[in-house]
Amino acid sequence: MSEEERSNLERAIARAFQPRRRMSRRAFFRQAGKGGVYAAGALSLPAILAACGIGGQSSAPSAAPSLGSEPAGTLDWANWPAYIDIDEDTGDYPTIKAFEDETGITVNYTEAINDNEEFFGIIQPDLAAGRSTGYDLIVLTDWMIERLIRLGYLEALDKSKLTNWSANAQELYADPWYDPGNTYTTAYQSGITGIGYNPTLTGRAITTFDDLLDPAFAGRVGMFSEMRDTMSLTLLSLGIKPEDATVDDAKKAQEKLLPLARNGQFRNFYGNDYYDALAAGDLALTVAWSGDVSQMKLYDNSDVEFVVPASGGMLWVDNMAIPKGAAHPLDAHMMMDYWYRVDSQVALEEYVGYFSPVKGVAEQIKADAEQARADGDTEWADALDVISATAFPDNDTLSNVYTYKKLTEDEERQWNDLFNEVVQGG
Amino acid sequence: MLRRYRWLTPYLFLLPGGMWLLVFFVAPLIVMASVSLQTGSLGQGYAMTWNFGVYPEMISQYSGFFIRSVIYALIVTALCLLLGYPLAYTIAFRGGRAKSILLLLVILPFFTSFIIRTLAWKLILADNGFVLGTLKEIGILDSGFRVLATPISVISGLTYNFLPFMVLPLYVSLEKIDPRLVEAANDLYASRWQAFRRVTLPLSMAGVFAGSLLVFIPAVGDFVNATILGSPQTQMIGNVIQRLFLNTNAYPEASALGFLMMAAILVIILAYARIVGSEELTAG
Repeated sequence: MSEEERSNLERAIARAFQPRRRMSRRAFFRQAGKGGVYAAGALSLPAILAACGIGGQSSAPSAAPSLGSEPAGTLDWANWPAYIDIDEDTGDYPTIKAFEDETGITVNYTEAINDNEEFFGIIQPDLAAGRSTGYDLIVLTDWMIERLIRLGYLEALDKSKLTNWSANAQELYADPWYDPGNTYTTAYQSGITGIGYNPTLTGRAITTFDDLLDPAFAGRVGMFSEMRDTMSLTLLSLGIKPEDATVDDAKKAQEKLLPLARNGQFRNFYGNDYYDALAAGDLALTVAWSGDVSQMKLYDNSDVEFVVPASGGMLWVDNMAIPKGAAHPLDAHMMMDYWYRVDSQVALEEYVGYFSPVKGVAEQIKADAEQARADGDTEWADALDVISATAFPDNDTLSNVYTYKKLTEDEERQWNDLFNEVVQGG
Repeated sequence: MLRRYRWLTPYLFLLPGGMWLLVFFVAPLIVMASVSLQTGSLGQGYAMTWNFGVYPEMISQYSGFFIRSVIYALIVTALCLLLGYPLAYTIAFRGGRAKSILLLLVILPFFTSFIIRTLAWKLILADNGFVLGTLKEIGILDSGFRVLATPISVISGLTYNFLPFMVLPLYVSLEKIDPRLVEAANDLYASRWQAFRRVTLPLSMAGVFAGSLLVFIPAVGDFVNATILGSPQTQMIGNVIQRLFLNTNAYPEASALGFLMMAAILVIILAYARIVGSEELTAG
């Protein structure tokens, strides 16, 4: 097997089994472990069963610890798979290495997050009990950040330690809906949920959400197993702004999808693995994330196109945050601020290809492209041109993207129930 | 002196395995039983409310998935038996010097991860992949034809993945049969078929029974094949449990479904044991 084939296979496996929205039993086993301790000491079965409660919201919010002036020299960072620049030869992370050399801080970087809900399930018991999660820095999507703030699970940021952020953050990502005033978070990367399609398989340009429901494409349409994205796009197609949607609106969205799901319109409900199905041609069109499609165009299938549906797409932001009780908060601040330096952000951006929250990145990538062309590396120059064009959304795009609704727990349960019916295809 | 305590020996031998089971089987089971009866949410915490109502609710909501999973698993078990019996028979009686190599070939797939093998089938059977793409290009297949995302691909995937679990116990039980018994049957004017029907098959029933269990039980709960090779219309109960645990964090519902699945499997196995005759298990 050639090097390239192997890395393709590895990526396919990583996508199918570390998808953003699925699969790990860690959350469950952690609970199970605790139960075992209780069980050993308890006597009657009902007593044993009753002792296995799962704790909720922390009762004693602790005061923010002072950051001190000296970093601790260690940083435990949990991030998503394939969400940072990787040196393909050595497997190192060049930007993290540069940070370590510069600051003397040792970074324990782990790709521990595959799914917002799943990761919440992992850290929640510690946060609820007022213990450290073992992470100093985590990266989660806006709606999950909103929940963590509501539950009091994040440390407030000390802006005096975030000078690059103050100087270089894009206005688009300042004072966001999920964290007014950036009290707890700074943006890591951002993107749009829209439609990815393969014109040679669809035979025509795709422009609307309803194209996904066209019977001509039955069995070759992909949907997301991620509830918020799928429901929000459907709501938009009904002319309802997701942020204002009621449970009744969600019901309407469900009624729109349900008969099609039962008739086999959708090939499957995907996590990250939609990427391979679209690249391989199993899907003609699918709900998709913007950055994925630009990467696919560059590396895996030059035919594919990304489009924001006429009725609107969803703008999401993945954020860096410090969980309550983090052992090395100053180190975490330094890493957060490090990403708001243009040079480190450019290195990240040229690899991951989503929207960058830092000013001047698109310009710098463009300059890098010219440099590469001058050096005779046309292929890399073309790739950089594509990335610089997608490093920041244009005004047309921005005028047609929306944000998620702040769901209460009760609403979330009802939306999930409605959506699960669709996913299960009746 | 020590002889007085000799009766303890078997219990001492049981201790390590027993402790292991206690910690890693019984304890999680108790936790799951507990969680299934709690109500609440992950954000606010779950509290024990002895909510037994979750069980009938789950049955009515997901019975379709139970039925589909059991039907798929039964088909898979039957296919494994049909494919595995002749294979095991041939290796046991006609294998000769190649026996160990043939057995190694049966086990060989285990050298690679289950997931990688299933993903490989997804690549091989892709709608426009090497196999189907070529057949479509020369016009043998309609351009809309597909194997993936159908019940056929899920059942085939399960059969492929679990076939060795059927072959190995069958081989073990067939290999033990004394060929002189078959010769004796032939000497007594039994036809080949009669000898097989009256001698070989009954003597291999322990293998059939063990193999069926080893295939049926994991097949019912499997979600990997339905995830990778299936569609929303081929979801099995394992997919539902996995989604409830990880995507919706609905721990009580997921735990209850887990217990219901265990109960369903137990009932089916007990019925099967009655039919096949559980004495076959001990006869070996």
